[in-house]
Amino acid sequence: MKTELTISTGAIDETALAERREMGVGMGAVVCFSGVVRGSEGDATITAIAYEAHEEMARHQFALIFDAVEKRWPVESVRLVHRLGGVPVNEPSLWVEVTAPHRAEAFDACQFLIDEMKQKVPIWKKPIPV
Amino acid sequence: MKFWSYFADLTGCKKTEIKLADYTTLGQVHTTVLEQFPKLAGAKNSTLKAVGLEYEDDDFVLSDGDEVSFFPPVQGG
Repeated sequence: MKTELTISTGAIDETALAERREMGVGMGAVVCFSGVVRGSEGDATITAIAYEAHEEMARHQFALIFDAVEKRWPVESVRLVHRLGGVPVNEPSLWVEVTAPHRAEAFDACQFLIDEMKQKVPIWKKPIPV
Repeated sequence: MKFWSYFADLTGCKKTEIKLADYTTLGQVHTTVLEQFPKLAGAKNSTLKAVGLEYEDDDFVLSDGDEVSFFPPVQGG
């Protein structure tokens, strides 16, 4: 399984990421997910979320999650981008792409990746109020 | 050892050194840390603990030079 992990303060360019997609002829499904910063956190209105990571551990934990995906589904590739630093409202903080032969495994693997990330990858957020 | 996220705000530091006896467990380190940084007590049950890049349980026995990280539940995405 091919994997590509980007953890960066740069904005996530979804168009550029889509243009760089490479798929084998046996692949019939691409699932892309964008996690976008909402304008509220609880009852508070916010302008952005600041993300912080224990980056070395985050990369290691993502690698373990990718290994688990590979063991469980016939996924061809996973690309995941997580932004750090300040991410304004309406901009993506997370982008995940899974390619697989069929939609069921692509959706399941994508959901699994995000669920596991939210349990294990040491990234934290701090809402920035208006 | 290192504190991450708002744990660094509660302790007032991102990094500190703790001298420990041989065969100290991660759980014993947690007790020592709570004595030194009582503001972390409220998060005692939700604290995540790692040694190096791996999560470890309270019965994990530390070795010389291990880097311990304490942090709150993760919130990526």
